[in-house]
Amino acid sequence: MALLEHVDTHRGVETAFGKIIPEKEAYSYCLRTIAGFSANIFQVMRILNDDWEDRTSQICEIANMMNCAACSGSEEELFDYLNAFYDEWNIPELVKRAAWIGAIWGDYGDEAEDMAGRVIQFTEDRVEKELDTCPWDIVGSEMCNMTTAMFTANFDIAAGGEHGEITNDVALNMCEARGCGNPHCRVVAERRDTFGLEQQGWLDHRGAAHLPVHDTPPERRVKHAQGLRNGQYTNAFGEENSLEWQYNWVAQMGWVWSISFPLIAIRDMAEDDDEFERILRIVFATAGKNSFIDPFAREGLRNWLDIPREIGDNDPRVMGVYIQAMLGCQLVPYEFEAFDADGVEIRVDQETFTGRFEMAPLDEITIGYEAQWNGACHALVSPEWSVWIDEDDDDFIITVGRKVDDRAL
Amino acid sequence: MLFKEDEIARAEANAIRTNVGWYRWTHDLVKMTGTDAERFLDWIMVNKIAGLAIGRGKYTTMLDENGGIIDDLMVIHKEEDVWWLSTLYGPHMVKWFDTHAEGFDIAYEDITQEIDMYAVQGPNSAATMNELIADAVDGLKRFQMIETDINGIAVSIDRGGFTGELGYEIYCAREDSAAVADAIAAAAAKYDASCLKTLEVYVRSLPMEKGMALRQDYRGLTPFEANLGWSVHMDKDFFGKEALEALQAEGPKHAFVGLEIERESYEDIAQNEIIRKRGVPVGICRQMIYGYTVDKNIGFGIVDARKVPIGTRVTIGPNDSPAVIVEPKWC
Repeated sequence: MALLEHVDTHRGVETAFGKIIPEKEAYSYCLRTIAGFSANIFQVMRILNDDWEDRTSQICEIANMMNCAACSGSEEELFDYLNAFYDEWNIPELVKRAAWIGAIWGDYGDEAEDMAGRVIQFTEDRVEKELDTCPWDIVGSEMCNMTTAMFTANFDIAAGGEHGEITNDVALNMCEARGCGNPHCRVVAERRDTFGLEQQGWLDHRGAAHLPVHDTPPERRVKHAQGLRNGQYTNAFGEENSLEWQYNWVAQMGWVWSISFPLIAIRDMAEDDDEFERILRIVFATAGKNSFIDPFAREGLRNWLDIPREIGDNDPRVMGVYIQAMLGCQLVPYEFEAFDADGVEIRVDQETFTGRFEMAPLDEITIGYEAQWNGACHALVSPEWSVWIDEDDDDFIITVGRKVDDRAL
Repeated sequence: MLFKEDEIARAEANAIRTNVGWYRWTHDLVKMTGTDAERFLDWIMVNKIAGLAIGRGKYTTMLDENGGIIDDLMVIHKEEDVWWLSTLYGPHMVKWFDTHAEGFDIAYEDITQEIDMYAVQGPNSAATMNELIADAVDGLKRFQMIETDINGIAVSIDRGGFTGELGYEIYCAREDSAAVADAIAAAAAKYDASCLKTLEVYVRSLPMEKGMALRQDYRGLTPFEANLGWSVHMDKDFFGKEALEALQAEGPKHAFVGLEIERESYEDIAQNEIIRKRGVPVGICRQMIYGYTVDKNIGFGIVDARKVPIGTRVTIGPNDSPAVIVEPKWC
């Protein structure tokens, strides 16, 4: 059963074999699978565009623009948008909101994504955020740069002196990035007027901070964000979000910022849609195969999901329960049509499968997972079994079945 | 977070303790009018509001139907049948009143966007204020408000603040805010005092040293558990009284306590971090901060009142930071 519908009674994802994946473990797995999908998408980008600076600039610009979309309406609409945010998060008037809103925004997003750490400094002139973990640390350096463009937008939305103008009041640097090998991610925003700093280009956001940073010693670092360790996130003003709220939020928004935004630029890097989708399938198929190349990976999966020994290695249910676990942890509702030695069929609603965030459905989820799961199935079960996704009215049917394909990838 | 090595934050804290400092301190402000305003406020608040003289303010908490604190605020009797309610949760307060105002001849509105507020705090705050305003503040009593002007700009001034030091708060119209800030800066400069910029110094560090907490620290506790029993008038009727009496009869379940950690800093302790006694959860941390006057990492916590007396050694957070339970006031 999907956690989304049974959270009050189950507090976890129940698999076809009766294994309950606890809520916190499911949440972590959800995050990592979204990050894994994002990592694959970024590989597609690297194939399409071999110029690091160019591709990074392009995704930065898109991410910044999409994050700024909140202020694309009238001045009054922006005011209402920000006020609703202030009220939701209990941000009092005594806070100079224009100076701090970016940090407050970023902090609750980081925490929901289990980017665990702390706001080191929080003043009118300077904000320093330090992270000890990041589930997206496998994506790579372009992602680390792209997030700085999003943060810049967060500051610009509220900090700009003129409505609709991107004023870049702060210099924002990701001085360290786990995706680039540093022990921490560290983002420092410093007011340009206070410190006499230059306006930055998209590729200038990985520099050093103007003032010295605070490095938390290893013994006081954390492994998980507040939600996973204490059951809720609490912001600086005492407002709380439950673990459940965070889980539901990230199961939507994780797809938006780390996949949907960069995809806008990445699709444009291809000559046409066919070229993009051809490479997408190849990358995801390879990723899937490599998931289970190591013999212990297969054993690890069997152990994790309590797959009974009576179910042999060459059984489609091994793959079926793996897909089920992923859907359940990603809070995607589904229904089994078949689950036996002859094959597995899982019915999902097309809109909820591709529209994790309702307003921004991603067809790439269907193409990517079909290729990834098919590749994984060949390694995990055997090449006798394949995974494919068919349309059935408003639904998709995900099938694990026997298929002979003379042009198999 | 504040760290003992932060010399800017230390200087700001020291300015308030030994000289004077100022900062924008705008609270949410709800204005209530009507012939029943006094009667309503006296019923919805635990402190005695009835009979409060014009120009005087009073601190109080507001309870829900379970007897738990949902807000703490200053009630100021501004004029005849006109009251200002200074809170950090104006929109929440208005919604609460909406569901409880039936039968009272009152009107209320959130006027936060109309009024700005500054704090001038520290031993030299009176001298600074006397440089600043037309009327001397020397005779002003605690929580007393007067109407005066700064360079011809109408302002309301009360003696109060959130630092535990002598201090004053200045209310002005939003359109006058920049001019008022300039005037404060000029007056403060005569005492070599500048505008504080480190929010955590004046919102958390300075107040916590003096035992002053925020609603977010108290939320859900009874006023008695929160050590605010002095503000509760059980001799009058007020909202939540019945539940509060029942809870009092059962005895306090929670204790609002101080925490001192023994490590150099508290990077791994967020709000609501779990407090453990011999490995068993016995409460939650509310806030840790560095106190520059007492030179310690200090905090507030809510613990099981029966299991965690003052002096108990505990651990806090994911890395088991050793700490000791102390009285929630340091200086």
